[in-house]
Amino acid sequence: MAGGLLQIHDPLKPRGHAVGIDLGTTNSLVAAVVEGKPRAFPVDEGGSLLLPSVVHYAQDGSVIVGARARVLAGSEPTSTIASVKRFMGKGPEDAETRALGAYRFLKGGSVVRFEVKGGPPVTPIEVSAEILRTLKRRAEAALTGKVEQAVITVPAYFDDAQRQATRDAGRLAGLEVLRLLNEPTAAALAYGLDKGRQGLFAVYDLGGGTFDISILELVEGVFQVKSTGGDSALGGDDFDRAIAARFLESHGVANPDAAQITELLAAARSAKETLTREETTELSALGRTFAVSRGEMESWISPLLQRTGVACRRALKDAGISREELDGVILVGGSTRVPAVRNFVAQLFGKEPLGDIDPDQVVALGAAVQADLLTNRERQDEVLLLDVIPLSLGLETMGGVVEKLIPRNSAIPTAAAQVFTTFQDGQNALDVHVVQGERELVTDNRSLSRFRLSGIPPMPAGMARVEVRFEVNADGILSVSAKELSTGVSQAITVKPTHGLTDEEIEKMLLDSIEHAEEDIHLRLLREQQIAADQILHDARKQLAAFSDLLPEEEQHQIKAAVARVAELRDSATDSQALADAIKALDDVSRPFVERIMNRAVGTLLEGRQVDEV
Amino acid sequence: MRCWNCQSEVGGAEVCPSCGKVQPVAPGTTLFDVLGLRRGVDVDKPELERAYRERSLRLHPDRAGKDDPRERRLSLERTALLNEAYKTLRAPEPRAFYLLTLHGLDLRKDEGRAVTVPPNVLEEVLELREQLDAARSAGDDEQVSALSDRVRVQSAAALSTARSALGRLERDPADASAREEAAQALVRLRYHHRFLEAAEGDDEEEVS
Repeated sequence: MAGGLLQIHDPLKPRGHAVGIDLGTTNSLVAAVVEGKPRAFPVDEGGSLLLPSVVHYAQDGSVIVGARARVLAGSEPTSTIASVKRFMGKGPEDAETRALGAYRFLKGGSVVRFEVKGGPPVTPIEVSAEILRTLKRRAEAALTGKVEQAVITVPAYFDDAQRQATRDAGRLAGLEVLRLLNEPTAAALAYGLDKGRQGLFAVYDLGGGTFDISILELVEGVFQVKSTGGDSALGGDDFDRAIAARFLESHGVANPDAAQITELLAAARSAKETLTREETTELSALGRTFAVSRGEMESWISPLLQRTGVACRRALKDAGISREELDGVILVGGSTRVPAVRNFVAQLFGKEPLGDIDPDQVVALGAAVQADLLTNRERQDEVLLLDVIPLSLGLETMGGVVEKLIPRNSAIPTAAAQVFTTFQDGQNALDVHVVQGERELVTDNRSLSRFRLSGIPPMPAGMARVEVRFEVNADGILSVSAKELSTGVSQAITVKPTHGLTDEEIEKMLLDSIEHAEEDIHLRLLREQQIAADQILHDARKQLAAFSDLLPEEEQHQIKAAVARVAELRDSATDSQALADAIKALDDVSRPFVERIMNRAVGTLLEGRQVDEV
Repeated sequence: MRCWNCQSEVGGAEVCPSCGKVQPVAPGTTLFDVLGLRRGVDVDKPELERAYRERSLRLHPDRAGKDDPRERRLSLERTALLNEAYKTLRAPEPRAFYLLTLHGLDLRKDEGRAVTVPPNVLEEVLELREQLDAARSAGDDEQVSALSDRVRVQSAAALSTARSALGRLERDPADASAREEAAQALVRLRYHHRFLEAAEGDDEEEVS
């Protein structure tokens, strides 16, 4: 566990510590800057710095995260969610959603919901929040202090819906999300500051499920992202699948079941890992064996690497530079351990990649650096990060064609405005559809949101001029506002995320989560006592009013004093025990009174009259 | 103009000289002003990069001391504008389109329709598109890249024509023929761009 050097409280950080979190497809990490250096914390069994991004929902309603959850994936595949990152911001109808894993999805709705044991269906946001909560708790243990703020990393290629979902997961886990930071940018930050480098860098980030490429320039304290690109559905998991596919092919297995696929993919994964060190290996699964050489694997994954090459060339072109101008190439992500990947990158950029920071940790370390830069006043002026929006933002126009409003690789924050007009006399509303992507047709891009501009003053067709302003903040998240220009009237906009949750839904989840979360047990007990207090106050006041004739004056004073005490603590107590004690005192002091009421009720019933007031 | 915070005279500065708060953008500010560059067809690239970095350091919302909500808001607006200026003025083409808007003609808006394109230009564009489609369906990659090369040369020529016309227009804003010539050349340039996008599209779509 953490050494003694961590156990120092910094009184200048009233909001607790700020950490950097790499919320990965396969593994997640948390890091913070301690004594000027970023370091990752142990987060799982055996002091591991990697927390497998796997969440298990047990029958009794408890939640298990990490290596222990991963073990349960075999026996409980539908209640154990792995690679949840691939579902962030996706709808149940997305092709990718249907292709992944043996999960049971709730039908309908605009957001993916997994049916799991021990409770209601959960969204990817809630599953991610469980991972974040675990990281937060472990970081708090290591730092011996509260952790309330975090920089969370996302693939540069994440679209708006995926970013929103990530930010919401952070909120749900009780974290103030200081910034959503692009993973390659985080990696470059870890390298740039650590080594005091200057110049142009390419960051090649191949993780379990995503591929990102970014071109960055570091000059005189300004870290500028020149361009970014990638593929949000390409990663080391695809290497495993390529190996597994050859296995099935060579053994003539046509229709493997879910359990067989799980077993085979695990075997393929370990064969891939062995081949980073050995020239040949033997894969055994489904009671059969299969010999694989490094050369064979390299030829199978070659088409996947070529796909990354296309994105890299485009990123160089977008940045307006040639590969000769690069000062360094940085490797990120566990999949870059595969020798074929390193060779491919070296050849593609014409130089040996840098790899002196552990590729598993580099993103979390960079996020920790950014968290420190954003919260530590002494460091705030050291480096400024200027990032870009990864995908173009556009609007649907006539015929389902996209009009680009903010092109990809625009530096953020950024803003753009578009003027709309009405096409019918007296038209008082306009529908706007925002999409993200590079393709020409709306249907080929990602739908972000649809909204209606309403309250346009009645005017002849074409006279109303509604200016819609789109703003992308430093997290890469879009917000929209609108104004009718001739009258200056602001327009009401209800933005409905196509594949996301509304703020109200998130708020409700936040409240609900108070009832589940381990660390909020204290709050839950208090909440329970508050509910008990409401009940007893309601009853006591009603009885005092209805049966005052049964109450001697002295007893009445005692009960009223006890009621006042409960009412006061109901709103002011932070300790559930104090409130519980007051409730008990009220209960005790009013017992003789309640007994007299009961006696009268019984007597009344005997007289054959109904009393429903008791 | 007076500072919204301390009321002292700011004289159009981005940041109040006496209290250091970020100021709103003054009306009539051009993107050249935003970067502190001399307005013109050419800009000094290293100067532009330096100006962008230096202003980002001063105005970005992440920088120290931007805790006041109003200042954060202004800082966000200023940074968005700075980013727009950088994007627009960095490369010669968007810079040329922008200069023309300063002379009252925004080709990205409906005003582009006001420019009449000579029929022979349209004909040539249509013919090139047909040749591209034919080469595509025949799977003739060499022909596709030969066509692209040809259009790249033409678009370089159009840009050069636009730039020299814009140069004359900058010296004499009343020069109507220079304005027309710049507009014509930029409209041609836009056709070329669409062609190149279509020609290179294949390669790109594999990635997304």
